[in-house]
Amino acid sequence: MSPFVAQAQQLIAGTNSNGHLVGALPGWARPRAWMETETDCLVSLRALCMGQHLDARPVADSSVIEARAFVALLEERRGGPPLERFQLLTERYSYPLNITLEGEEDVREYLLMRLMVQDRARLLKRTVNEMDTDELLLKLSLVALHAALAADLRYLDALNYYYELLPTEWEPAGEHPWLLVSYLMLYAHALAAQIREERECV
Amino acid sequence: MRIGILSGSLPAALKIHSEVRAVPDCQAYILLCRAPDETRVRSLFKHAARFVLKKGRGRALRLLAGGCVHLFGHPLDDPRTLARLKRLQLDMGLHNLGAIYRDETIKAFRTGILNPHIGLLPRYRGRSVMEWSLLEGQPAGITLFFIDSGIDTGPRIVLREEVDISHCGSVESAKAYLFNLNAIFFRRGLELLRAEDFSFKLNDGSGRRYYVMSRLFQNVVEELIKAND
Repeated sequence: MSPFVAQAQQLIAGTNSNGHLVGALPGWARPRAWMETETDCLVSLRALCMGQHLDARPVADSSVIEARAFVALLEERRGGPPLERFQLLTERYSYPLNITLEGEEDVREYLLMRLMVQDRARLLKRTVNEMDTDELLLKLSLVALHAALAADLRYLDALNYYYELLPTEWEPAGEHPWLLVSYLMLYAHALAAQIREERECV
Repeated sequence: MRIGILSGSLPAALKIHSEVRAVPDCQAYILLCRAPDETRVRSLFKHAARFVLKKGRGRALRLLAGGCVHLFGHPLDDPRTLARLKRLQLDMGLHNLGAIYRDETIKAFRTGILNPHIGLLPRYRGRSVMEWSLLEGQPAGITLFFIDSGIDTGPRIVLREEVDISHCGSVESAKAYLFNLNAIFFRRGLELLRAEDFSFKLNDGSGRRYYVMSRLFQNVVEELIKAND
């Protein structure tokens, strides 16, 4: 078992009696400008899963391509090797919370659409390990970050849907099987955030 | 006006036919189509079985004899189907199929294809929209609009109306209730389109696209409906 999975288990075991994840979320905030960190996307995701704070700073001169152009690039690579799309996503979201930026709406909508239309249809016809599981789980993790910080329930429900759809005893065949734990942890955070918001409204 | 009812089921098409024939100057044809995942033989067998087993055989026979029922053995976007559709010189199609239309199929109808969508556009596009409306505390309703090749993005809305579903005790019955109103909405839409002062409302794309709902949220919506019943 990887140290990350063991840490995640410990964190879940520390869940309080109200079902809230202890120590999670405080380190998260929706950025207002494009941010960067010293760590890459995957390392940053693991830290966010643990509710840790990421040292990030605004990018002074951003060379990041516009959201719509990035979606076009992902579309262009649809027929290509899945690793390319995975790399495109990890490079763009080295600071993963950038996915929640207002200007990233086109990318978020695109990822949600891919998950709920094409990936879902593929998953209903085939076994999950026939798909590119790294890309699937990375998309779910990124969507989960937005679900935790935004009021749009469609993102949370995509996580609900995959929780119901994915096999319980599934071991991802990809290069980064721990991304399953990342998705589940971030989903738990998103649910906790939603429940907290509902309680505050009441 | 020559209308084509695009349907995968003869009894469902007959229901729409009997409603829209009341519209003046309206000549309605039933276009029995093949479901996308269906073989030609299976489609023929299904239509024949429904013809024998369901009510309305007499009417169906009269329509058949009058050349008002057309059976399409090939998929809708097949060139042979498109050629037949063009020969029929239809002004408008009425959507009653589980299909997404390509541009060529839509263009085979002079003014386009009307779709009774069970959600209020432009806000609710896509799947499970009745459930999403209720979850978000919004009214249920139906929007009759001319489709384009996108997902509920056709800009021309003919009729948009909230529908009271408070008497429905479940999600299933509420959806069935809304779907059953399709024939009435088609008739009302056709009547509106004949009016001199008619103008389209705009489906401006300002809404969101919704997707199939999880069982978790479906159960929440079920509880909401029961609480209102």
